[in-house]
Amino acid sequence: MKVSYFALLREATKKRSEIWERPAPTVRDLLRDLVAEYGPNFARWILKDGELAGFAIILVNGQDVRGLQGLDTPLTPDSDVFIFPPLAGG
Amino acid sequence: MHGWIGKILRVDLGTGKITTEALKPDLARDYIGARGLGTKYMYDEVDPTVDPLSSANKLIFASGPMTGTFAPSAGRYDVVTKGPLTGTIAASNSGGAWGPELKYAGYDMLILEGRAAKPVYLWIQDDKVEIRDAAHLWGKDVPETTETLNAETAADAKIACIGPAGEKLSYIASIMNDMQRAAGRTGVGAVMGSKNLKAVVVRGTGAVTVADKEAFLAAVAKASTMIKEHPVGGTGLRLYGTNVLVNILNSVGGLPTGNFQDGHFPTADKVGGETLAANQLQRPKGCFSCIISCGRATKVSNPKYKGEGEGPEYETAWGFGPDCRIDDLDAVVKANYYCNEYGLDTISMGGTVACAMELFHRGIITRDDTEGLELDFGNADAMVEAVRLTGLGQGFGKKLALGSYRLASLYGHPELSMTVKKQEMPAYDPRAVQGIGLNYATNNRGGCHVRGYTISPEVLGVPVKVDKDSIDGKAELVALFQNLTAALDSSGSCLFTTFGIGAPEFAELMTALTGFAYTGDSFIEAGERVWNLERLWNLKAGLTAADDTLPPRLLNEPIVTGASKGAVSRLPEMLPLYYGARGWDAQGVPTKEKLSALALA
Repeated sequence: MKVSYFALLREATKKRSEIWERPAPTVRDLLRDLVAEYGPNFARWILKDGELAGFAIILVNGQDVRGLQGLDTPLTPDSDVFIFPPLAGG
Repeated sequence: MHGWIGKILRVDLGTGKITTEALKPDLARDYIGARGLGTKYMYDEVDPTVDPLSSANKLIFASGPMTGTFAPSAGRYDVVTKGPLTGTIAASNSGGAWGPELKYAGYDMLILEGRAAKPVYLWIQDDKVEIRDAAHLWGKDVPETTETLNAETAADAKIACIGPAGEKLSYIASIMNDMQRAAGRTGVGAVMGSKNLKAVVVRGTGAVTVADKEAFLAAVAKASTMIKEHPVGGTGLRLYGTNVLVNILNSVGGLPTGNFQDGHFPTADKVGGETLAANQLQRPKGCFSCIISCGRATKVSNPKYKGEGEGPEYETAWGFGPDCRIDDLDAVVKANYYCNEYGLDTISMGGTVACAMELFHRGIITRDDTEGLELDFGNADAMVEAVRLTGLGQGFGKKLALGSYRLASLYGHPELSMTVKKQEMPAYDPRAVQGIGLNYATNNRGGCHVRGYTISPEVLGVPVKVDKDSIDGKAELVALFQNLTAALDSSGSCLFTTFGIGAPEFAELMTALTGFAYTGDSFIEAGERVWNLERLWNLKAGLTAADDTLPPRLLNEPIVTGASKGAVSRLPEMLPLYYGARGWDAQGVPTKEKLSALALA
């Protein structure tokens, strides 16, 4: 699947996007592996006590997982995942 | 009084008469200040059917009670008048340091009346107020005007002025203060130009007093901590500015593209906040008392678009970028610089160029009309030149200076203007985000996002996530956000403080500052009062429920690509619910009961 990073997560991963080939049946599995790969500078914006941090935004195929099944949202090898740290603007 | 200075400065530019008067405490309590208090004075003193560019219109510069205190990010003021672009009551909000200086000079508000016989500027030093000749400044841009005035008044005086666009009465002209900050929307710069007023220069040596110093200190400390510790308000805005939104809006399919023909732009990342931070950004910059610093001091070294200044904000990057199908960030920043230097609203300017590009793309206008400009989608050089010509009022820029509604109407196609109440909509597609469309349609100053920023819950998930595609609860959500923002604007605080604090914290700050007992509910109710008064003004000006709508494209033409493909705005279903939530009748007129409850009857 393709995983894209934005804002501070580009700093943490040093990447805009990557093809992620390890199996990840759900968003929870994917995030667990990404946290292991990129460490606390990645984790601090995304997870809190093992759950999705309040204002992190994760889109799967353009849909916000907060309107799907949250961390249990299923993924497939064709999924297009976008991960944003908490954002503001106007 | 505490918080408020308690004094209003009134200047008749026609007669030269300069007077001061007391601010009534009950008016201050009920309408708070800035946008609310300015609107109350306009409502009481000016016929809403007035020609906005006639001497009978008034131009009010109004600070709020929090302006000039050390409350976090509370240095703002509003320019209140009848807006020539929209024909509505206009309040354009700006930061910088000008608003606080007006209070230090001893005034909550400055009311300008009449029209000067020749170009003038106003020089306010505490209680010494002079109307001075501005012949030598007329025609000069904002940076040169500001530098000249600082040299001939005081080096640390604060200056609000118009550029050539305001002098030439462009309907999309802004008033610029502190060189780079804009009271941008609704064409307030043209009202200043119509009064032959080039600038208002202020230097003050006074202070703002506080009712309960200990309580205010505690409330400020609490609010500051909440903003700094909030994951949204505390870090991202400083690092990436508002333009960090390009990628999220594009990812959810809500980034208007090609004059709102689509909701997704494949190369949007090239004009986003991350790209800006990696290239043009020199440093973040904050307004008076700001702890967020979303401003962008930037520099372009590309010789074609070389320059230095501030911006772009998200709306600006979108307007000159994806809405024109342009992904050259240097060109976008240059267009922003021209707007700042000539005094133009970047949202309306971007939307107007995008509209002209669609007219050109469809063959409705040709190079004969544009005087040689190949003004098609994607042409960055032509976009930048179009902005320059608009600022100077030259060539095809004279027509662009009318804004997109009047431009498209000239060529028989008003439906291609992406406006509400003749004002260009900002950078969120109402088809992809239902609540923001309802806010645009019902907004008291036309196409505007900041007075009901439902993007926060609908896209960002702050304070809680709501479904952007659903219409359930959107009527109440929009009304609540509009009311809270009306109160916030009136207080002199920055909208971005709401990324950390809410109505209860504003009530604490206001109570400690002013000595009047505000609660979260009464603070929001004051905002509802302001919103209803603006509505009454607009109805008297001749606007009706028929004006509470969106361009037909957004109601009928689905988004073509991206994550929101197939979506249209469901405004017709939401609008009656909104009128109901507001306590208005089916025609959008506030009922007697509602007006009575708000002490507006």
